Amino acid sequence: MNSYETPLVLFTVLSQLSVGMVAVSAVRSFAGPEPPRKQIRSEWLVAGVALLVGMIASVFHLGHPAGMIRALAHLESAWLSREALSVGVFLGLVVVGIVLMRQKTNRGLIVLTALAGLLALFSMGMTYSPPSFPAINNVLPFVFFLVTAALLGTSVGTLFAPEEKKPLVNGIFAVSLIVGLVIYLIVPCIWLSGGEIMRQTGQAWIASPLYWARIVVGLVLPLAVLWKMKTTPAWLWVAVLAGELMGRALFFANTVHTATIMGGVY
Amino acid sequence: MGKQLAFYVDSDKCMGCFTCAMACKNQYHQEKGVVWRKIYPLAEAIYPHQERAWYSLACNHCENPTCLEVCPVKAYFKRDEDGIVVHEQEKCIGCGNCIRSCPYGAPQYNPSLKKAEKCSFCWQRIDAGLAPACVLSCPVDAIQMVDLDQFDATGLVQYAPGFPKFPALNPSVRFRLPKQPVVVRREDT
Repeated sequence: MNSYETPLVLFTVLSQLSVGMVAVSAVRSFAGPEPPRKQIRSEWLVAGVALLVGMIASVFHLGHPAGMIRALAHLESAWLSREALSVGVFLGLVVVGIVLMRQKTNRGLIVLTALAGLLALFSMGMTYSPPSFPAINNVLPFVFFLVTAALLGTSVGTLFAPEEKKPLVNGIFAVSLIVGLVIYLIVPCIWLSGGEIMRQTGQAWIASPLYWARIVVGLVLPLAVLWKMKTTPAWLWVAVLAGELMGRALFFANTVHTATIMGGVY
Repeated sequence: MGKQLAFYVDSDKCMGCFTCAMACKNQYHQEKGVVWRKIYPLAEAIYPHQERAWYSLACNHCENPTCLEVCPVKAYFKRDEDGIVVHEQEKCIGCGNCIRSCPYGAPQYNPSLKKAEKCSFCWQRIDAGLAPACVLSCPVDAIQMVDLDQFDATGLVQYAPGFPKFPALNPSVRFRLPKQPVVVRREDT
């Protein structure tokens, strides 16, 4: 088992929450009249604060935090450099959006910021899919991160949506929950039929209480509540966030590295 | 291909004495828990005999090193003259990306310095005309330094059983596999 990488858990989940919220506000802006500017601005403020907290947390995983700015030095090949840049650009656009929203909302900027956020998600997906972890040396990290952004963006975004648009946001939330549930139930089972390291990863995930807690608290419970109440109660985002944090800790701690069985059968 | 130094691991000769690993430790005095060269016993599923067999492994100084590719601060470079992958520790910010990304587990985290580090192929010794400490110390010549550009690798394998295969990285290591032990029965004598 690897380290839980708590700073990276906080960074990835909170930045994906931020991207999700901005993306939801962009989708909403195409579906008829928007809520008062002040309300959208509050939504973006929450997204900005979450992102900032996540970025501050990420610094604590560095042995030498003072050197963090140098992480931009290898843009030509290191996805971590590209991740740092794209997240920085996304934060910049969120701040510009918050400032401009004092005067008026700008749909073009909202869409541009959402696209920058998706680019940041892609960079994160590439950063966390190295060859040393065969189970996730593919598109899966990006898919996991998209699911996180969709789940958190909609469950928190619904708090800021006007009544007439809540069904739209709840609809996206419900679809995201179903897609997330299917992905998280199927993927470890597929790993079980892969190579030795993939198989061990599948076993490690399925045997981990974090995996089941993540499914029950972050996916099944919200889905049941949504199905029963036909709306998203204000507290539900807490369960979704808890589920995502547990799922991300699982991602970092229980994905098996190739070097762990050197000398064994691959 | 230009000159590319590599480790030739003769698993048939290796007796798992750990002298190479100790010589490395003696040379660089790494922190407790930081090990650049490791000796891996072959699993019984690969070598099912009472006799044991080992691979002595450190950084493979890959042709396309993942550590170099993923390092955000360009703390790694590959020497043009011999292909050795060098880690410039003074540039390292301890993000751990190389440690997470190398499929061979070569970079290690130094908890005191809060930076990564790995086998340097003793490039300072090589530049001074000396052999790497591990190569020099092996009592049975089970580990040697070779130039893949000149080396006749007939009968050797790059991806031995028990060593993960990553062709995109092209690790600079060659193995001679351990021979199967001869079973002598009473009726044979």
